[in-house]
Amino acid sequence: MLYSKTALVFRNVLPKLGLETTSGILGRALSTQSQQSIETAIPDKLYKQIQLEVRGNDPAVLKSYAHFTVSAAEKLGATIGRNFAPRKPEHKRYTLLKCVHIFKKHRVQYEIRTYYRFIDLHRLTGSTADTILEYIQRNLPEGVAMKVTKVEMLPLLESIRVPPNSASTTSTN
Amino acid sequence: MSIITRLGVKNTREIARISSLTSSFATQSEPPSPVAPDEFRVLKLRPDPVQERQKREIRRTEVPPPRSTQMKFDQDWGSVWPAARSFHPATVPLPVRQGYPLKNAAPPNKYGNAELMKIPNFLHLTPPVVTKQCEALKKFCTPWPAGLETDEKCEKHFPVEVLTSDYCYSSPTIREPLARVVTIRLKLSTLNLDQHARDKLLRLVGDRYNPEDDLLTITSDRCPTRKQNFEYIEYLLTALYHESWRTEPWEAEKSEADMEYYDWDKSKSRDGLITLYCWPEPPIDNDYETIPHATEYKIAVSDLINNGEDEYSLNKYKEAVKNMLFLEGQEKK
Repeated sequence: MLYSKTALVFRNVLPKLGLETTSGILGRALSTQSQQSIETAIPDKLYKQIQLEVRGNDPAVLKSYAHFTVSAAEKLGATIGRNFAPRKPEHKRYTLLKCVHIFKKHRVQYEIRTYYRFIDLHRLTGSTADTILEYIQRNLPEGVAMKVTKVEMLPLLESIRVPPNSASTTSTN
Repeated sequence: MSIITRLGVKNTREIARISSLTSSFATQSEPPSPVAPDEFRVLKLRPDPVQERQKREIRRTEVPPPRSTQMKFDQDWGSVWPAARSFHPATVPLPVRQGYPLKNAAPPNKYGNAELMKIPNFLHLTPPVVTKQCEALKKFCTPWPAGLETDEKCEKHFPVEVLTSDYCYSSPTIREPLARVVTIRLKLSTLNLDQHARDKLLRLVGDRYNPEDDLLTITSDRCPTRKQNFEYIEYLLTALYHESWRTEPWEAEKSEADMEYYDWDKSKSRDGLITLYCWPEPPIDNDYETIPHATEYKIAVSDLINNGEDEYSLNKYKEAVKNMLFLEGQEKK
């Protein structure tokens, strides 16, 4: 927790100080250098959407967890999108022979049920997303798995912004 | 049998010798017996009753009454239950019941109830605690930049979307292989393309372009890390863009059969129409605008060939031909 917090602080402080170094300690130690590179601040990431997929074996736990996630995300300044659970869980069945090698009509069946929950968060900056995800994932209950799909926004790449000049195209012909 | 008795005799002699030895030792160190030395020792056929050993005292610690009985109603619950923990009946001041009930009975109460201990609880995440923790975390958050409030504005300034996934679960390794997959999405209309470049790009990307929402989607999972995959996609996009702007010499060999759609302006139909209009003189210029109803005819023919024959397009074509050839009056007669 402590490590991650320092990392977050650093990320937040980064644009203000304009440190280009990746290590916080190094950046603080070389404060004279940081003064020179104020212009070259790393811009924060922008996430258009963050999709959380939570899965577990107990629907009640998932429901409580979704409630907690939504309240935490709202308090930390995120916009909540969809928040739903599919009505039916996924059933995975294993059918085995009850006896070792005879009595084929008699089987035993084991079943694993997986319940899902989907939550969408919209329009988050990189530091907000990191804070929310860190907080949420540290409070993930036992036996629950999470998949986070991030949709990051980027400007058009430099290389595909303008068409290659006509001189080069004619030369290739 | 005789051997056994003989052995037995031998053994008894041996035992007698050993016992005399031990007795001699014993007399030296033995404490004075209760019998006076000048009296005979009394043969005790029945030994003295063994003194009852003192029973070990079982020490029991005082079990205090449940903590929940001493709780104030306005206590700070976050300090009572600060972190995730299994359910404890004496600490939780709630009359919860859980489990399969016996007949005509309520579900079992919270004391010694394994059902309540199995399920993960959220007692450390009560709303006031979450509010407090979020207040403390708020300083690490940054507001969403102004001017990007709607999706349209976002798309205008940041047209490229990069999709990545992170996984958090009880895996034996923290390196989830699926986390390396990177997907890039962008609208084709944001790219600066002319007709030829767009056509070539669409041929190059194949089914990665969805004409319904105009999205070009490229996924890469061939490299071992996410960064490498992202850089590979960047390279792919750049290569695609530059390749589609290039005109190769063999592209001039494209014949009418290779056309992806019917273009009336380059078709035989247009030449035929103009020749017919100028008959008997040979056509002077290729301008069809002066011919009455030619535009209508053009649209009808293009629709018929591009969208397939159906009743509507055939009727449209029929009307266009009739209008162009002035057959309206004859039919009326």
